[in-house]
Amino acid sequence: MVQYIKKLFRKLDDAPIPEKDPIVHSSLGMPLAISAFLLILSLIWAVYMETAGLRPWRAYQEEFGQLYQNALKKIRPQRAAEAGAIRNSEGYLTLQEELQQAETDVQSQLSTVEGEEQNIRERLAVLTKPFADARSELQATIYRWETVKSESVGERLSHEVEALRAKSFSFQFLDGDSVTYTYEELENTFNGLKNRQGELQAEKVSLLRRPTEMRSEMNAYMNDRLTGLTETQIDGLINKTETMGVFIRQIHNEEMNLVDRCESCHMGAREPVDLSADQMDGRSLFASHPRRDLLAIHDPETFGCTPCHNGNGIGTVSPVRAHGKYKHWLRPLYDKGNFEAGCIQCHRLDRHLEGAHTFNAAKDAFQHRGCMGCHAYEGFDTEPAQMREVHKNLQDLNADRITTQIAVERLLEKGDGAETNEEAHLAYTEATRVTQSIATIDADLARLNVRLDELLMERKRPGPNLKEVRNKLTKEWIPKWISNPQAFRPNTKMPQFRLKKAEIEAISAFLWQSGVNEPVASQPMGDAVSGKGLFDSKGCLACHSVGEEEDRLGGDFAANLSRVGEKTNYDYLVRWIHNPKERSLPYDPVLKHDVTREDYETRGLPFQFDPENNQSPLGNHSLQVQNSTVMPNLRLTWEESRDIGTYLAALKKETAPLPAAPFLEDTKLFERGRFLTRHYGCAGCHEIAGLEDEGKIGTDLTVEGSKPLERLDFALLTHEAKHDGWYNHKGFFERKLKKPAIYDQGKIKRDLEKLRMPDFHLDDKDVDQLTTFLLGSVESIVPPQFHNTPSGQRQDVQTGWDLVKKYNCMGCHQFTPGQSKTVMAELPFYGGSLAEKLPPSLVGQGARTNPEWLKRFLKNPALNSASPHRNGVRPYLDVRMPTFALSDNEVGTLARFFQALSKQPTPYIPPELAPLTNRERSMARELFTSNAAPCLRCHATGDEHTDPEKIAPNLSLVKARLKPDWTQRWLVHPEIIRPGTAMPSGLFRREGDRWVFSLANFRSFKGYTKDEAELVVRYMFEYTPEEQRRLTRGR
Amino acid sequence: MDWVQLWEIVSLPDNLPIVFMIILIPFFMWYGFRQAFANDRLIGRLEADPALAKTHHRKVEPFREGWDPKVHVWPYLLRIELLAAIIVTVILMVWSIVLDAPLEEPANPNLTMNPAKAPWYFLGLQEMLVYFDPWIAGVVMPTLILMGLMAIPYADKNPLGNGYYTFRQRKFAISAFCFGFLVLWILMILIGTFIRGPGWMWFWPGETWDHHKLVFETNRNLVEIFGITAQPLAGIVGGAAVGLYFAIAGAVCHKLITWNAFTIRIYSQMTLTQYLIYQFFMTTMLALPVKILLRLLFRIKYVMVTPWFNI
Repeated sequence: MVQYIKKLFRKLDDAPIPEKDPIVHSSLGMPLAISAFLLILSLIWAVYMETAGLRPWRAYQEEFGQLYQNALKKIRPQRAAEAGAIRNSEGYLTLQEELQQAETDVQSQLSTVEGEEQNIRERLAVLTKPFADARSELQATIYRWETVKSESVGERLSHEVEALRAKSFSFQFLDGDSVTYTYEELENTFNGLKNRQGELQAEKVSLLRRPTEMRSEMNAYMNDRLTGLTETQIDGLINKTETMGVFIRQIHNEEMNLVDRCESCHMGAREPVDLSADQMDGRSLFASHPRRDLLAIHDPETFGCTPCHNGNGIGTVSPVRAHGKYKHWLRPLYDKGNFEAGCIQCHRLDRHLEGAHTFNAAKDAFQHRGCMGCHAYEGFDTEPAQMREVHKNLQDLNADRITTQIAVERLLEKGDGAETNEEAHLAYTEATRVTQSIATIDADLARLNVRLDELLMERKRPGPNLKEVRNKLTKEWIPKWISNPQAFRPNTKMPQFRLKKAEIEAISAFLWQSGVNEPVASQPMGDAVSGKGLFDSKGCLACHSVGEEEDRLGGDFAANLSRVGEKTNYDYLVRWIHNPKERSLPYDPVLKHDVTREDYETRGLPFQFDPENNQSPLGNHSLQVQNSTVMPNLRLTWEESRDIGTYLAALKKETAPLPAAPFLEDTKLFERGRFLTRHYGCAGCHEIAGLEDEGKIGTDLTVEGSKPLERLDFALLTHEAKHDGWYNHKGFFERKLKKPAIYDQGKIKRDLEKLRMPDFHLDDKDVDQLTTFLLGSVESIVPPQFHNTPSGQRQDVQTGWDLVKKYNCMGCHQFTPGQSKTVMAELPFYGGSLAEKLPPSLVGQGARTNPEWLKRFLKNPALNSASPHRNGVRPYLDVRMPTFALSDNEVGTLARFFQALSKQPTPYIPPELAPLTNRERSMARELFTSNAAPCLRCHATGDEHTDPEKIAPNLSLVKARLKPDWTQRWLVHPEIIRPGTAMPSGLFRREGDRWVFSLANFRSFKGYTKDEAELVVRYMFEYTPEEQRRLTRGR
Repeated sequence: MDWVQLWEIVSLPDNLPIVFMIILIPFFMWYGFRQAFANDRLIGRLEADPALAKTHHRKVEPFREGWDPKVHVWPYLLRIELLAAIIVTVILMVWSIVLDAPLEEPANPNLTMNPAKAPWYFLGLQEMLVYFDPWIAGVVMPTLILMGLMAIPYADKNPLGNGYYTFRQRKFAISAFCFGFLVLWILMILIGTFIRGPGWMWFWPGETWDHHKLVFETNRNLVEIFGITAQPLAGIVGGAAVGLYFAIAGAVCHKLITWNAFTIRIYSQMTLTQYLIYQFFMTTMLALPVKILLRLLFRIKYVMVTPWFNI
């Protein structure tokens, strides 16, 4: 070896010079042979790559054809069995007999018609071509005649035409006839035959009408009962697999600039048969698209695959490239757990989609975790932005008003100083007109001010009002909570901030010292046993929970109260339970500070503030008089509130006293604490004195999924990420959500530069849902006309869902038939209860109740301001529908929501019902008091002694509350509207075209020919409390 | 030693030709110089033995009596070319099958790549941009390079070395060209390809390319060192420095062509125009390494600052 290298590098003139000139005498045979061989190899390689290597879909498609055929053959027998069973069923056989009968009926006429048709066809076969030729010659000659300029040529041509017309043709037909026609005769014969042919066609159609109908009936019968394909269809598919070509299958939608070739490999995606991976020999590549219902809504020919799934639609070279999982494709395929991320870009305006579980869960997770406290996101927490807009409009309008007034004054001056009467008149009329426009501005101002008041009510914050800490909390508990909330309450919404001890002390001191100084009224103790009973039964556990880990009972919408006794002041707790919205001092949003008792008293005003008395003593504007909490008012008496408060105050886990916290009173820490509180963005979730208008400290996440990967700061983990394959959006989000400070690892940063996002201690499910949410929050590649922009009732449904999710209505109520059980229904206290003892299901609520009544109800569920401590509709319930203090706007939204869900026409105009005749009235009374229909045995009557045992609402409410058409449907078939209801079914039966009471034959009903169910409905819509007393007097 | 980083750079399809270049240029240099040195030894023998010169005049080593001094293009040259063509075709086929043309993400005008590198044939100029004003490095220098290359045949007064490799007889020309080509062009390309990373910062081979790397490199102008900032004094002083450079460089270049009797004999035949052309291009070419050293050693950015151009 060394020798060889030495030979290579020795000097040219040292080498022994060969005899013959190497240039002329060396044979290049060997190198040429080798390189030629290599060339051939590379050619073969290139051809292979072109035909198969870069086109794996060819192999896939052939494989698919084979596997599909096998699967179809396996399926065929059961399909044949099912189709055969249907064909042998009575109904089908009957139809078949009818078909045969129909066919035989028309057989003879049909054969006559067909015979004549055949004859005509034969004749036409002979006549057509000669006639057509002659006709075109004639027409061409006529054309020349018409367009010719010279007379002589015209003469000649006219003779030609005549000759052509007179020309004779002879024909020999198949049936032996032979005829001779002139052209004219030929034309007439031809047209006549054609017309006759048309007539015969029409006749045939009308003859076959009945058989055709029968055939389609048979098909319909079959299709209604088939659960899949028939065996003939399967055979058709098997034939298809034999002739299935191998070619690129693509979906091309020009409007969307969409080219998706996914189906070139995923051949089974849209096949009419449901194919599972197992059926296709374990190849999940060929399995059918699950959720065919989604494909029915989003036609793949329009939407393709990539708008929902991402990936590289045009790629066909390899799975990696087609799925876009390489460096340069910015939208790689969504992973299995994040499939529904693709829904979000088009369904931005939807809050709840039926059947989109991950989509709903993702949006719910974002809202439930309070992410919008720091991060802006379109559609969540919109009230502050709306308030700013309203403020701006108010300012503009006020400015307008002033300028208009000035304009009026100027015009009046101009009129006063005018030279002529006409000028003055003009000026004065103009002034009048402009003055009237001030009225419009005033109306707008009033409307906007109302809206502002509403927004003050509607705005809710994820965290509690921290201005009340002095009244509410045990002060030593504050630093313990801030340092580690999860240690105290494992599933709390409040995240853990990475704070040093000094920072915690400063923040606690600031919060304590900034709390309002208005003491809360002291409350005597109550009965804890009775309190527990109330707590369990009134419905608190639909939102709150008690018990830890396996013993946890209740909902997770609101806080777990297992240790609430360790932190809360009893007096405050009682006031809170009595009315959560009540606050110690109102807040003036214009002057931006809390209004104190002195401010009222020095102006001689009573120290009173509530939604009716919300004018500020310091100016002509509204105050925020309620806490921004979603917790509703359960309309409890003070005694009940004290009982519950006593029960809750005893819920403790650690009874040892908390370490003393003297720093809370240290005024030197106030400034530092305020700075830190502002820095960490606490005011995004909490109401804090002096920081009410703080913005959100986090980034806007509305299009976070579209952020260029280079702008996501992986910091010192960049190389590890690239190396381990998680250098993409999903990897970034997942790790950040699990441990937000992960990207600060190893960085040397000053304290204030460090990441402020706290640790939420999310479990894997939450991380998955939120990652899906963020991955889907992209700037859509789909053109806006394909986005889902619900309008009209569908929009009402979505705005309604916003509210339903905000206030956790689903904790107690069922809204859609597919919803899983409510939290209330799962509680052991209510286990096994009648559905009537639980909050009612709201499926079909819009069809059932009058929306105007519903609005009144939602505003005040007690339906009675005099005695609010009850349920308005169902006084017999232990559980209590609370008062949510909804603004008029929210109430209207909910009413429209229910109307839209039930597809009711808006506005609702109650139909006029014919008044009862006396006879009808006595009939109804007999029915009501009979033993066959003892309505008042279950329906509440307003009698306090018997009502608690009742299970149905008071019928006096019907007139205002229900809709007549629904009431009638309820009376005749309650089991369809509410399966499992205690309302008896079968009360009425159908006789001809009217409903008749079926459980008894009342004497007064004899001879009544009108609808009896309608009679009862009309009676109920005239029902009054006096009528009710009349009916119960006998009892 | 970040092997992954190294591999990433070396295996980037765009950089593959440069890797080939690293192998091919030394090879061909060696190949050519081997022949040149063999011929030089022959020239030495011919000069030593005048009698031999009569029969061995203008031969090339190795050579034997009876060998044809010239051979026909067909078949001898063409069959070698055929072999070369086949081999090149094979290389191209394999290359195109194995490496795809880079189709990267859709262009995003808001997001520039970092580093944003010029194609390899301009990397030398991009490197010059570090040391020179853009006007000089981007316009003046490329123009002078082209003009200089065109002017070489007209200024070259050395009649020797036509048709055969030799180093002895063309020492100056070959050295000057090797300096200009290998150092000032190829080396710059290699630096631009392998060494320059994000932010056009210097990364040794095997050093991870970190976008967040921070270096301290504040530069100052020559005139600022002496405390002069106001125009036109700064321009004048700068101009004087430049003039001083050209004076010294001119003297050096003159020495290069009057190195020994051989060179004097050849280059004394130059006309004035040729001499001036030679001086102009040679001094300008030598300005590059001088400026690079000034920048690297003394952190000097511009020697002459005027409102219209900087040097």
